Amino acid sequence: MSYRFRGSSKWLLGASLAITCAGAALAQEIVITDHENRQVELDAPASRIVTIPMPMASGVIALSGDADRLVGLNPLSLTAIREGILGKIFPDAAHISDAVTGTDFVPNVEALAAVRPDLVVQWGGRGPEIVDPIVNAGLTTMLIKYGTEELTRQYMTMVATAIGKPERITELVDWRDSVQHDIEAKVAGLAEEERPSVLYLGRSLSDITAAGDKGSYSSWYIALTGGRNAAAELDGNSSINREQIAQWDPEVILLNSFEPNLDVNWVYDDPILSMTKAAQQHRVYKMPLGGYRWDPPNQESPLTWMWLAELLHPDLFDYDLRAEMSKAYETLYNYQLTDADIDGILWVAQQGDSSGYDQFAAH
Amino acid sequence: MSTLVAEGGGIAPRWSRTALSFAIFGVALLAAVMVSLCVGRYSVNAGRALEILSQAMLHPGRAIDTMDERIVLLVRAPRVVIAAMAGAALATAGVALQGVFRNPLVSPEVLGISQGAAFGGALAITMGIWGVPLLGIVFVGGFSALVMVGLLARINGRTEIITVILSGMVVGSLFSACVSLLQFIADPNSSLPAIVYWLMGSFATATWDRVLVSAPGLLIGIGLLWALRFRLNVLSLDDSEARSLGAHPDRERWLVFVLVALIVGCQVAVSGIVGWVGLVIPHAARLIVGHDHRRLLPATVLMGAAFMVAVDTLARTVTAAEIPLGVLTAIIGAPAFGLLLRRHFKDREVP
Repeated sequence: MSYRFRGSSKWLLGASLAITCAGAALAQEIVITDHENRQVELDAPASRIVTIPMPMASGVIALSGDADRLVGLNPLSLTAIREGILGKIFPDAAHISDAVTGTDFVPNVEALAAVRPDLVVQWGGRGPEIVDPIVNAGLTTMLIKYGTEELTRQYMTMVATAIGKPERITELVDWRDSVQHDIEAKVAGLAEEERPSVLYLGRSLSDITAAGDKGSYSSWYIALTGGRNAAAELDGNSSINREQIAQWDPEVILLNSFEPNLDVNWVYDDPILSMTKAAQQHRVYKMPLGGYRWDPPNQESPLTWMWLAELLHPDLFDYDLRAEMSKAYETLYNYQLTDADIDGILWVAQQGDSSGYDQFAAH
Repeated sequence: MSTLVAEGGGIAPRWSRTALSFAIFGVALLAAVMVSLCVGRYSVNAGRALEILSQAMLHPGRAIDTMDERIVLLVRAPRVVIAAMAGAALATAGVALQGVFRNPLVSPEVLGISQGAAFGGALAITMGIWGVPLLGIVFVGGFSALVMVGLLARINGRTEIITVILSGMVVGSLFSACVSLLQFIADPNSSLPAIVYWLMGSFATATWDRVLVSAPGLLIGIGLLWALRFRLNVLSLDDSEARSLGAHPDRERWLVFVLVALIVGCQVAVSGIVGWVGLVIPHAARLIVGHDHRRLLPATVLMGAAFMVAVDTLARTVTAAEIPLGVLTAIIGAPAFGLLLRRHFKDREVP
């Protein structure tokens, strides 16, 4: 069995990624070039995977179609599973070991070895300290880099290849491609002044943070869906104050889905933030939490784009988000979403009366 | 009186010069406060800001409806007040500790009080406690650190300065480790970022509620240390000399420690760990007004407040992103302290 992977989509074979096909003598071997140009070799499709980067845990579940392959994950991935819908779809996933790594991505090698993984996925580009212990323990390690849509597609492809399901990734990437192109075509004609300024706050409750354009996935999908990043002048991810937000006066505010105690009332109850255009027009939304948090790139990202596109330009788009979600969850997790599930993912109880949210109401 | 003090020469400059210094300190503080209220990332021109302030003072309790009014009165004003109080209080705590220990290198951080307070705060945040109870836990943390230092440093009934400083390092390290431990077990999505941010030190979250929470402790701390100004002069002497002047050095020293822990606790509770102020400002003040605590304390209060307000104004206005306060106080404080140190030893002709 060979894992030749030459998709019609040329971006799949980016410079940093080349999936080679072994000769007949090593028919079972899978060789993947990871994001640090390392050759990752597997004798057979990986059946016991540990994911240290947060978004990758639910990615493995989606690519596998079940949670059986995942034997270890980041504690933060586990909280997302428990708080979100995956804990309901795959009840066993809530008991996968999160002792394998700290939230700072420093692996606990003994705990790692104890779950006998045949593949460990770790962050690349963050120095050897978090990688060497895994490699030295003799575990097969694949390094991935975070931040852009292109990298996301590449590392999802790597994992799909590693688990022996290359056909699976074609389906998911084709979906990403078609939604992206559809949205791009519809917003292409928008003039600059028709693009609302959107402020995504990565943190809110203790410290308020926002990110400039460089290296921010949120900024990328704000632009994709026909918005402008209100915090574009920032260099990277930074702490900001309320006065700065007042100065930017964004038309839409997006709150992160990471902080469990955060909802849109944080904006409406604040003496300063409640006076921004976004609050005055009720265009404040907390990012949904589905199979993973919708803020960072993951297997559900096209849903994030459709959700945001509908909120920024309801007249341009007519996605039936609920139907799209149902279809996607069937494909990704082989699960039939109920109306209550969808309401929970979209925080309908908390922000159902926000501007534009009525289009997401159950029929 | 002035002739008596004048005999002190370089140590105690004349009152007239001191009066001029105080006038300058007062003007500097007033200027820092006014500038700080008028500048920020949101553009409110200075005239409008002053109009808003005077309106608010003439008609207290008036509804605050517009964005520029809210920015000046609800964002900038409480932030300036907290920064000024914190700067004044930290510098005062530094002066008191340096006097009591007869050592210019002592500050709340050196004695482990800040680390103890940080541990108390981190513990409170981990348990989901905020507001006045948090302040209480922070105070207990800071004070226990101080008690531990006191007990550790007392050997054979004597407390040497060097053992106090070393004990402070030991206790400070211990509490720092405990803070790290709490960070290790904290919920990474909620309490961990709260702890990390709060430890960095910032006035960005200032509100009038926080002013009300911290003001009583800070003002009582500063006020009582001011009331102890004569005692601080006496405590700066040798213990035997102090006793001959009718003081109870041990007892009074502990009173000072409690006040310092109160000050640091209140400050840390509302704005996190802010370094260097307690070390640099007292030295600068001492160079200008001399060692007499009757003048040193008020000078320190004014300079500390002006310095903190000025630095915080930079932190929140220079770039769209907030510059961490600790970065600025260290960048300004460390070189200034280095210069003071050299000057101090040159003057004393210590090889």
